[in-house]
Amino acid sequence: MPTNSTQRLRFSDYFFLSPWVITLILFWLFPIVASLFLSFTDYRLLAGSYSFVGFDNFAQLLQDAAFTKAIGNTFIFTIGTLPFTTCFAILLAIFLNGRLPLKTFFQSVYFFPSMVSLVVVALIFTSLYARGGYIQLLCGLVGAPYPQEGFLFSTATALAAVMAMDIWMATGYYMLLFLAALQSIPNELYEAARLDGASAWRQFRVITLPHLKPMLLFIVVLNSIKSFQIFVEVFVMTKGGPLNSTNTMVYFVYEEGLQKFNIGYGAAAANILFAIIAIVSWLELKLIKDKTA
Amino acid sequence: MTTAAFRNCGRVAVAIVIALIMLLPFVYLLLGALASTFSLTGTIDLGSYRLTLANFATLFARAELYLPLANSIAVAVIVTLGNLFFCTLCGYVLARRRFRGKGFLMVTVVLVLMVPVHVVIIPLYLMTNWLGIFDTYLALILPFLVSPLGIFLMRQYILAIPPDMEDSARLEGASEMTIIWRIVIPLCKPALAVLAVQTFMVNWNSFIYPFILTSSESMRTLPVALALLQGYQNIDVPQLFAASVISVIPTTLLFVAYSKRITEGIIAGALKG
Repeated sequence: MPTNSTQRLRFSDYFFLSPWVITLILFWLFPIVASLFLSFTDYRLLAGSYSFVGFDNFAQLLQDAAFTKAIGNTFIFTIGTLPFTTCFAILLAIFLNGRLPLKTFFQSVYFFPSMVSLVVVALIFTSLYARGGYIQLLCGLVGAPYPQEGFLFSTATALAAVMAMDIWMATGYYMLLFLAALQSIPNELYEAARLDGASAWRQFRVITLPHLKPMLLFIVVLNSIKSFQIFVEVFVMTKGGPLNSTNTMVYFVYEEGLQKFNIGYGAAAANILFAIIAIVSWLELKLIKDKTA
Repeated sequence: MTTAAFRNCGRVAVAIVIALIMLLPFVYLLLGALASTFSLTGTIDLGSYRLTLANFATLFARAELYLPLANSIAVAVIVTLGNLFFCTLCGYVLARRRFRGKGFLMVTVVLVLMVPVHVVIIPLYLMTNWLGIFDTYLALILPFLVSPLGIFLMRQYILAIPPDMEDSARLEGASEMTIIWRIVIPLCKPALAVLAVQTFMVNWNSFIYPFILTSSESMRTLPVALALLQGYQNIDVPQLFAASVISVIPTTLLFVAYSKRITEGIIAGALKG
């Protein structure tokens, strides 16, 4: 049987492929094309007809204070969580890769928060952050200032509180990926370095860091794509408030498109988000590649 | 030698402190769910603390959480079974055949994984409306029966299996379906286990899709019910915590039993991107 040239597909093959082809068309390709199309219309779910409005939605979005605030918050969220999550994840991975009894146990424990439903985690932290809750008690113990009304009800702390929870939750997941990368580094490299009398820090800089770079690049891109899409935390904990201080881009899309049913407007916001994610991922890939080359 | 032992103790101490940071919120959740009383500020009064299952009992007497639990189980199980079957079929063809459009199909599998899901929530909502399946079980199940990640996982695994057995079965006149059922699926058991655990977890915890694709109370899954019941007057924190504990139990059990499979699945899923 020729395996290197194109074969005629059997009837059964079409049948086997059809679930994916149908899913792809109905639930992926169509929505993506529709989203692009709708963003140039003034389509509203409850109105009967719609018309093309060109770039009006986009122009209007840039004037919309809630939208620019949401973009700002989303960037703050991403820039404020990504470095911490990444650093903690690398440190934990290196820590677990060293000599430690019960290694697998600790690895599982650290990873556990990212296994749990985000809704549940958000519910737990809503209580922890509440007025008179445990985090306030903790702040009182160490003498740190805290907002009386509760962390999620103060414009100064709400976003930071959500960010802190996210760092706590996501670290274990990225730790696992770093750990996989660490374990693929051949041990002989370290042995040779030790024979040459290289210090631990030098070993880290010369051997560990370069080997972690592909994973680091991947995690930075993956983590920022995920961070730009923050929604569940905001929905459960703050509903975008207080005073839009935790409103994020996806939450804005949801509110405009599926709460107020301004479909065209919401779709335009979603496409701007898409474009931002694409540009940022591309920039990150380019920046880190240039540095490593 | 003593300094080494001392160092070791230090490392364990650090490890335990980090473990506490990771686990204490869940201890709080569990203690809260089992508490007889709960202060309004969300702290647990250890002085008058008494373990009780009363919160769980009240919970199961309430329809608004009983039904979501059943929905969550049904949807996660059906979607998982669907993925095991359909991803194997698709992965098999993509691994074994060469045909026009195969490259395109492979690219779509990877590209779709990179599309931010939230970009398509509005059109997906409209699509389910037009198909007439909005707010039905079909909306919760159909779009997720076959996943790009699963296809990718199965294709990679099948590629590594030599096709000899399939070829000889074919010569003996076995149909393609028999080949899949009798040869491919048994050989793929390790990959299927990874896929099953992964798919179940993702769908069990899934919030945004069930949230936007349904509207009536009777169609809610557990995470949706939890998110929407929070803050309502007629549910108190211990009950909410009890419901959260129930939603965490399957994840925890799976995690304890299959932590190796789960980590494998996550690393495989991440590395292919």
